[in-house]
Amino acid sequence: MDRPRVAIFDFACCEGCQLQIVNLEEELLDLIDNVEVVEWREAMSEQSREYDIAIIEGSITRPEDEQRLEIIRTRAKTLIALGACATIGGINKLKNNFEMSDVKKCVYGKSADMPHLETMPTKAVDEIVKVDYKIHGCPIDRKEFTYVVRCLLMGKRPEIPEWPVCVECKSKGNPCLWDYGQVCLGPVIRAGCGARCPSSGFRCFGCRGYIDNPNINGAKDVIERYGLSVDALKAKMVLFGIGQGPTNA
Amino acid sequence: MKTVTIDKNAFRRFVDGIIKQQRVIGVCAKGDRFDFEQLESADQLRLDYDVTLQPPKKYFLPPVETLLTYEVGDGYKSVYDDTEFVLLGVHPYDMVALNQLDKLFTQDNFDTHYMKRRHNATIVVCDVISPSKNVFASSMGTATVKDGFDVLLTDIGNAFVMESGSKKGDSFIAKAQDVVDSSEKDLQARHKIQAENEKRLNNHKLKCEASYLPKLLEKAYDHPVWEEKAKTCFSCGSCNLVCPTCYCFNVQDDVNWDFISGKRQRAWDGCLLDGFTKVAGEHEFRKKRADRFRHRLYRKCKYVPEKISSQIMSCVGCGRCVGACLPDIANPVKVYNRLVDDLGIK
Repeated sequence: MDRPRVAIFDFACCEGCQLQIVNLEEELLDLIDNVEVVEWREAMSEQSREYDIAIIEGSITRPEDEQRLEIIRTRAKTLIALGACATIGGINKLKNNFEMSDVKKCVYGKSADMPHLETMPTKAVDEIVKVDYKIHGCPIDRKEFTYVVRCLLMGKRPEIPEWPVCVECKSKGNPCLWDYGQVCLGPVIRAGCGARCPSSGFRCFGCRGYIDNPNINGAKDVIERYGLSVDALKAKMVLFGIGQGPTNA
Repeated sequence: MKTVTIDKNAFRRFVDGIIKQQRVIGVCAKGDRFDFEQLESADQLRLDYDVTLQPPKKYFLPPVETLLTYEVGDGYKSVYDDTEFVLLGVHPYDMVALNQLDKLFTQDNFDTHYMKRRHNATIVVCDVISPSKNVFASSMGTATVKDGFDVLLTDIGNAFVMESGSKKGDSFIAKAQDVVDSSEKDLQARHKIQAENEKRLNNHKLKCEASYLPKLLEKAYDHPVWEEKAKTCFSCGSCNLVCPTCYCFNVQDDVNWDFISGKRQRAWDGCLLDGFTKVAGEHEFRKKRADRFRHRLYRKCKYVPEKISSQIMSCVGCGRCVGACLPDIANPVKVYNRLVDDLGIK
């Protein structure tokens, strides 16, 4: 088959999800045997304006990034959002709790008013352009990434779980962390991570975003029964949950 | 078929001896809970457990398994798990569940993957010593079990009574040293324990005979309880995933990088999950939470018992779903009792 041309772009992020691609080790060779990588700042110097698949990492936090993303969208046949920053805005959305002027002052101090430091409330990629596929997580799961790429190469729609983390957690035989006083977000967060955090005894932070149809009534009922308040739950969700709607894959 | 008595110290030596010869899976402590795990020593075994986090079905139907590998142009090869093992400490209600799965996986399509593991297993059932918080096996008629096991073990204080239920059980017991034929006294002690269990494993009491449930449900399809309960349902499938009789699975292919070869895998699925009934063209015939919530309780006490002509319901009263359900709506007894209250017993 013709190898599709792939370009990987990064916006506001820690580049950890790209790093997961670099970290594919021997599978990286399979990947580049099957696609032609034409731009990938983290791993090569070449650049290109012609590509079939654009992979977007990071969230959009500046007006000029919004324009850059729109241009990428017009050039790409398929656009993939890679990682929590791109799929749901990620932890960068914490910023949206504050006034932009305060945020700038906090980060840049005296230089806050310099013109190149203009900022805006954080957006996920699909708040600006159409996203064809989302690879969730902070960071992404390498196996899921290569699975999605293989599906695209075959022209098949990848199956991304639409059920919550509890499914994978229970399959692993874990006791529920709610029984041990942890406010785990598993029941409303999309699976696919293999319940990695709860399996290590650590509550789900929600990095893969909400399932398509999270039950708000259920969440309210449970926090009440466990003697918590809605505010306490929100405080637990703040890391990945700010202004985030359901993440339709 | 023999029934023998074995002193507890001798039993420990016996188990240690088997561990040296083959894979033994037994009930162990997992934090302050219990679960089945591969034993390294008989000291790990906790036959005084209340309930395991997961039912034993995963040793026959694993959460994820490869059914076959394929190569385009070269056909496929079925993949089988072919190690003999002993499953030690299964509670009677879980044995009843396995008996039902045996029927389900041999009826219609004979499931070679499930049955291969089933034939490789020697199942040692043990009568319950510590009832769990949510058990209601007495209500479901599953507090004791009469068949299906290879060995039935009952703790009568300082010794176990071991009864063989099959040829495999006979040869299992034959490996034990220091056993004596059970005395009348031992058998009476065992009978007393079993008779008590048939009453006391009942922390949620069903208000009707379990065998009446299919009839009750016939009248309950449009009852408001389904909507009421499902309002707070997360559709997380926890009730399905911890259930000893839920057996639905999903099958998917995963192609290798050569795009020629690959594997076909099946993984547990659950009827509570959004998307469980999604078919081609995005049609979904149980889209509402209430429909999915109702479906599970119909499966347990109407559809499956009717499918396998069983007098015993497919809810075996282990109570795992009760404890696994965060919004506390899964308890089958609460729902069925509500239906009895509203619709009566006729």
